[in-house]
Amino acid sequence: MLFFRSEELASEWCRAKGVPRRPLVRMDQLWTMSVTWYGTRLDPDSRRPAPAEIRGIFAGIGLDDPFWDPLDDSFAT
Amino acid sequence: MELDTRAKLAIYTHTAERGRVPAPAELMRRLDLAEAELRGVLARLREKRLLLLEADGLTIRMAPPFSGVPTQHRVLSEGIEYFANCAWDALGVCAALRRPSEVRSRCEQSGEPLRLAVARDGPEPSDWLFHCEVPASRWWNDLVYT
Repeated sequence: MLFFRSEELASEWCRAKGVPRRPLVRMDQLWTMSVTWYGTRLDPDSRRPAPAEIRGIFAGIGLDDPFWDPLDDSFAT
Repeated sequence: MELDTRAKLAIYTHTAERGRVPAPAELMRRLDLAEAELRGVLARLREKRLLLLEADGLTIRMAPPFSGVPTQHRVLSEGIEYFANCAWDALGVCAALRRPSEVRSRCEQSGEPLRLAVARDGPEPSDWLFHCEVPASRWWNDLVYT
């Protein structure tokens, strides 16, 4: 999970590494992911989101591709 | 408060206060546990995907979003340097701390440095992008690679 200055540079990196270019995420989307995932991590009742919640977090910011689904088996090895 | 919750809080509080994860001996002392007891607690927190442990079952490699080892994704806040496991976790550290911070990382292709100011309510406007190579269903197959 890495930062890139531009879409072109992300694509260059993927080509050089021989890996698929995945959906790119904007910083405002990444912040929402961060707050919903980690915003209460220092609290007593904190926990990792459950799979259904994970789907909701990603769908809520427009990331509804199966790539983001923790239970999707189309990427299974 | 039950033991696992006390341990989780001890780990995360220690890390937030000092910028590094606690060593096993520190945790045993703080929680008044023998090594075997600590090993069990850490294994249960690993099962809940709140920790990633080294092969010894005692050393914390990741307490997401915090990293137990130095990485290229750093966060500076109130004079403390934190290491994050990945680009997402760099913002995750800021979200967990809930205080003004600065993310310092880089573009993986060009090497251009990233300096991103993050307030309590989010980062300054930025057109940098985040890329995740591994599908969500496989993140924990090899979390260090992910």
